[in-house]
Amino acid sequence: MVHALNEIRRVLVKGGSLIDLRPLLDRWPIEVSSNGENREVGRATDLPGPLADDGAANQAMAESEHRGWFLRERQDIFPFFYYWDTPREMQEHIDETWNDVIQIEDDLWSSLRSSWATANADARVRIRLKMMITSLHKKNSFK
Amino acid sequence: MTVQTDPERTESKFLQRYTDFTGKRVLEIGCGDGRLTWQYAKSAGLVTGIDLHGDDLRVATIDRPSDLEQQVSFARADSIHLPFQKESFDIAILAWSF
Repeated sequence: MVHALNEIRRVLVKGGSLIDLRPLLDRWPIEVSSNGENREVGRATDLPGPLADDGAANQAMAESEHRGWFLRERQDIFPFFYYWDTPREMQEHIDETWNDVIQIEDDLWSSLRSSWATANADARVRIRLKMMITSLHKKNSFK
Repeated sequence: MTVQTDPERTESKFLQRYTDFTGKRVLEIGCGDGRLTWQYAKSAGLVTGIDLHGDDLRVATIDRPSDLEQQVSFARADSIHLPFQKESFDIAILAWSF
C-alpha cells in the first residue's frame, strides 16, 4: 500500500490533492426504514481479514505522511446507505458481494424479516456503512 | 434484485466539499463501474478511471454519457504500477480501493 501511495505521489503535480474515500468496518447497523423513521435491528459482524485491511490502510496513509509525501488537510466520517425493498434482496446481495467482508447471523436475519414484515407497506431495509473521507496534498515534487 | 445506493447522495456532497474539480485532471483509482465517476466528471477537466476488474470497466465504458466520451477514459491498471507520466494529474481519488 505504501508503494501505491508513492506511485500516486509520482503522478500528482506538486501541491496536487489525494482524496482517500473508503468504508471502515465498524459493525454496520442493519435497519428497517419506514414512513421516514429508521429502526436498528442489529449489527453486522466484521470479518477479521477486512478488519486487518482497514488497519493496514490507515497505517500506510500515516506512513506516507511520516515520510513527508503528503500532508493531511481534513477528514470526516459520514454514513452511506444501501437500501433494498425486502430482506431477501438484501441477503442475496450481501451473500453475493460482501460474504468475505461481513457476516450477518441467522437470528439477525430472522429479526430483520419480522421487523420488516410488521412495518408499514413502504418499509425497506438498509445497511449503514461508516465512510471516511480524507484529503491530503502532495508536499514535494517527485525525484 | 434492486439495490439503491446512497440515494441521499451524501458521498457526492462530501466529495464536492473536499475538492474543486473544475478543469482539473483527475485520476480515480478503483473506479469500478463508474458509479462515483459520474458524480464529478462533468465539472472536471479530464478524468482517467482505473480498475483491475475488466467487467466493471466494461460497464463503466458502456454507461459513459456521450457528452463525456472525450473527457472520461478508463483503463485496466494496478495502483502500484500506474501507467502514467510523472506529474500528470491534479487530483487522485482512492475510491474504496484500500
